[in-house]
Amino acid sequence: MWETGFLRKIISSITGGKSNRESSSSTPDEKLIESFINENDEGAFEEIVNRYVDKIYGLALRITRNQNDAEEVLQDVFLTLAKKIDTFRGEAKFSSWLYRVTANASYMRLRAERKHETDISLEDYVPYDDNGTLMGRVASKDWSLRPDKALFSKEAMDIIERAVEELPESYRVVFHLRDIEGLSNEEASQILGISVPAIKSRLHRGRLFLRDRLSDYFHEWSK
Amino acid sequence: MAMCKDIVDNIVEYIESELDYNTLQELEKHSGECPECQAFIRTYKRMLELTGKLRERTFVTPQIRTRLKDFLKSQVSTN
Repeated sequence: MWETGFLRKIISSITGGKSNRESSSSTPDEKLIESFINENDEGAFEEIVNRYVDKIYGLALRITRNQNDAEEVLQDVFLTLAKKIDTFRGEAKFSSWLYRVTANASYMRLRAERKHETDISLEDYVPYDDNGTLMGRVASKDWSLRPDKALFSKEAMDIIERAVEELPESYRVVFHLRDIEGLSNEEASQILGISVPAIKSRLHRGRLFLRDRLSDYFHEWSK
Repeated sequence: MAMCKDIVDNIVEYIESELDYNTLQELEKHSGECPECQAFIRTYKRMLELTGKLRERTFVTPQIRTRLKDFLKSQVSTN
């Protein structure tokens, strides 16, 4: 049995809009949690919801690649938050804790549904030839000088999403945390429970793979 | 003497300005003369710009929020 009081407060915080607390937009998460727990400040929790609802869903979707699974993970994570928020004492950064709960819930769902991907290793993935040169491999497909209008279009963004989806799972999640969410190697390491060198290695290989895939896609797109 | 392989293998440190002076000089000497490496560096940097934009995408619709709220309400009533 757990305290439903926090859950009731959380429910009233999920209003579907942006928080009215303009002043809280720069308030640290931990301070907002403290206000919510100690002062029953629902606006503080609403701000937390608005900050993280997309991030939780986005990470879950990146891992599970299934909208229904991602939505169920979102629900699981908020339930966990309701159950455990009063035990959060700030030993870890709140965002790292929340991402970790989300990643764990996503992996549990994959395991339960036996959907876990066979992870393909990219550790030997390199774009250069056996002589260590890129000769004839990059410049002919150089898309970097295309105008922003084309590269930042919805169509191009969909192409990028498709390319990210092709990354094997263990590289995709690292890429998501580092390059999409903008977290540090150390934060990604804490969230996923793997070493910083492993994070760096997966990020490097993942980016090489992704750059190649984007070059292929953008080359095709321009035809 | 640096070659394409060295640019690729050190690209993360190169982008993040974490290379020592001598290594940086060697890599820049090579890339200055290598159109393939210039294209590699440009497309790599552009990729990071573009993927960073994915952060701005919103996936959670009002319907998902409503279902989240309904789910949590159902949990209150069962506890």
